[in-house]
Amino acid sequence: MEQHSDTFLENASAALKNSAQAERRDFIALFAPLIRTAAVEGFAEFDTLRAHVKRVRQHSLDHLEYYLGKFEHEAVHNGNHVHFARDGAEMNSIVLEICQQHSARRVAKGKSMVTEETGLNSFLQRAGLQVMETDLGEYIIQQAGETPSHIVAPALHKSAGEIRALFQSKHDLGARELPETVDLVSEARQVLREHFMKADVGIIGANALIAENGYSMLVTNEGNGDLCANLPRVLIVCTTIDRVLPLAQDATAMLRLLVRSATGQAQTCYTSFYSGPRRENDVDGPIETHFVLLDNKRSDILGGDYREMLECIRCGACLNHCPIYTSVGGHAYGWVYPGPMGSILTPLLTSLEQSNALPNACTSCGRCAEVCPADIPLPDLLRDLRHEETTKKLNAPRWRRGLKMHAWLARHPPLYQALTGMVIPVLNLFGRRRGSFKRLPLASGWTGQRDFPAPQKGTFMQLYKAKLKRQAAQEAKRNHEH
Amino acid sequence: MSTSARSDIFSRLREVSRDASAEQIQRERQALGTAVAPAPPAPGLCLGFLTNVLKNRGSVDCASSRSEAVKAIGHHLYSHFRSHRLVAGNDPRLAAMPWRDAGVLPRFGSLEAGEPVALSFAQLGVVETGAILTWTGRANPAANNLLPEHHIVLVDTADLVATMEQAWERITIESEKNGRPRGINFIAGPSSTADIEGQLVYGAHGPRHWHVILLGNIPADALALARSSASV
Repeated sequence: MEQHSDTFLENASAALKNSAQAERRDFIALFAPLIRTAAVEGFAEFDTLRAHVKRVRQHSLDHLEYYLGKFEHEAVHNGNHVHFARDGAEMNSIVLEICQQHSARRVAKGKSMVTEETGLNSFLQRAGLQVMETDLGEYIIQQAGETPSHIVAPALHKSAGEIRALFQSKHDLGARELPETVDLVSEARQVLREHFMKADVGIIGANALIAENGYSMLVTNEGNGDLCANLPRVLIVCTTIDRVLPLAQDATAMLRLLVRSATGQAQTCYTSFYSGPRRENDVDGPIETHFVLLDNKRSDILGGDYREMLECIRCGACLNHCPIYTSVGGHAYGWVYPGPMGSILTPLLTSLEQSNALPNACTSCGRCAEVCPADIPLPDLLRDLRHEETTKKLNAPRWRRGLKMHAWLARHPPLYQALTGMVIPVLNLFGRRRGSFKRLPLASGWTGQRDFPAPQKGTFMQLYKAKLKRQAAQEAKRNHEH
Repeated sequence: MSTSARSDIFSRLREVSRDASAEQIQRERQALGTAVAPAPPAPGLCLGFLTNVLKNRGSVDCASSRSEAVKAIGHHLYSHFRSHRLVAGNDPRLAAMPWRDAGVLPRFGSLEAGEPVALSFAQLGVVETGAILTWTGRANPAANNLLPEHHIVLVDTADLVATMEQAWERITIESEKNGRPRGINFIAGPSSTADIEGQLVYGAHGPRHWHVILLGNIPADALALARSSASV
């Protein structure tokens, strides 16, 4: 997928000006946390489970070579072909080769962020294949020629009216007007049903791979992924090497966290486990099944300082709770993964040079870490990326000089205290009456958007010292009285 | 290309994986124990299961005998479709149902275009999430789960398990006996989507309606209690 992360600030400014989309994002910011909180509160031991799954994930990643090998062994035993791809281009080529071997013309695709990452659709289309996204949200944005704005609900940025207009232009509707949302869903259902029936190849992602039995786990509400997995004669599962879990019960334990965090359910409508091609007495199912397992820098991340990011289960909770994401939306981030998780993954999977604005799209409020079901210290990782940005001199020289000055000052407490001791009372003097400043020299970046609150009379150190002095005086007085 | 990609990836993983034997790794995983599961919504497997099915926007019925189950199926078919036809997988348990008791006319096989109702006999019911579990095979073709407008599912009370871990124990027994099923499907509600403006709509790609009939020795007040507990 083409990347536009380097223009994050411009993208964000443009997004803020679209008030209709901003309203829909406000709705997500209000609604999504409510349903998540209700689901988590309904499961008293959520935090205990979160800690357990984290230990299991860490254990799996510690021994990824063993578990990936074990998964491969079991998957081959189940009758699958297992392929490995170092990068997106390799994954795309492997998938195309499989399609060509079967003289496939039509592909039905379930939702997969990994194939968004590799740009699989356009690659297959360039080779002459008809690729149809079948998740409703993905179908909508594919028809509109757009990219996902959310990792769970990719078309939430679009209004029902826009989707209606889209269907009117793309489908042969005759006199049908599709007045309600339910009509829009029925329309897509009908169009896609036909495609499922004619597809030669189904492509799905996987929420987990199970080492002990070679199954992959697929979690959906619509059932489109299952149709892709069951109806076409060839099935290709595209996922990444870090998705492996040791045991089947580990996958369902993770599921408890994933679904509550993503949609507030206890279990999605469909949770399916697929082992391989149809068996001797089966009446349906693909005759050939493939796993394409992508690395694309995951093994580098595993060996580096950001390895906890590989524990991400793609629930989208950090997006729904992030004040930046819910203000500017997913497209502003300029690549596949938006929000806090995307601001870490994008620099790691592409480069910090291309995306150094993203780790700065953070207010350090910490909500993402609070709600993360994988217990990933997202704000810490974002801070580390900002540190790296400064070390690599990727941010503006003026900004680095400012940081350097601040650091130097902070390392010289007497000077720091003397300087702030002069500035704070002056600000207090001029801002006391109004309580805030509309404009301040050297702080236009702040005051351009909002007022700067006037500080109280003294600095923290002045108040602290005055308090110590008072206490000492009281102590001396008491001693004197005794 | 693929072989060298494999060796490249594995050699990279070897560098960053912790050194340990297979036995050590398995012992380590064992020491981590089993996950906690949520407490059931109500005491008793039947009541808990019915409550969660209702929460998943399924409709429910209870039947104390196979004859009653057939009548419940007949009633559902007639009230929604004014018909007594449905499609059912080649499950010996379904073949042995007393269909004549309610005049239901099943066709055994995979659902085909134009057939609106399919019936499955669940392998398990999972109380924790109100899901039913089927696995693919002659007894339950995938099309019967995924393509009808209405999916009716029979669940025997003897097949209720409390948690997903217990479901896996039963799946493992089946796998050891008959080989690993190609597909294992937990189904917890009619197919749904909220992809348009976050508005929940049923019948995205799969069934619009999901009807679960619990068969067996069920406490008399279970259904009423489940209804009141699911609506809270």
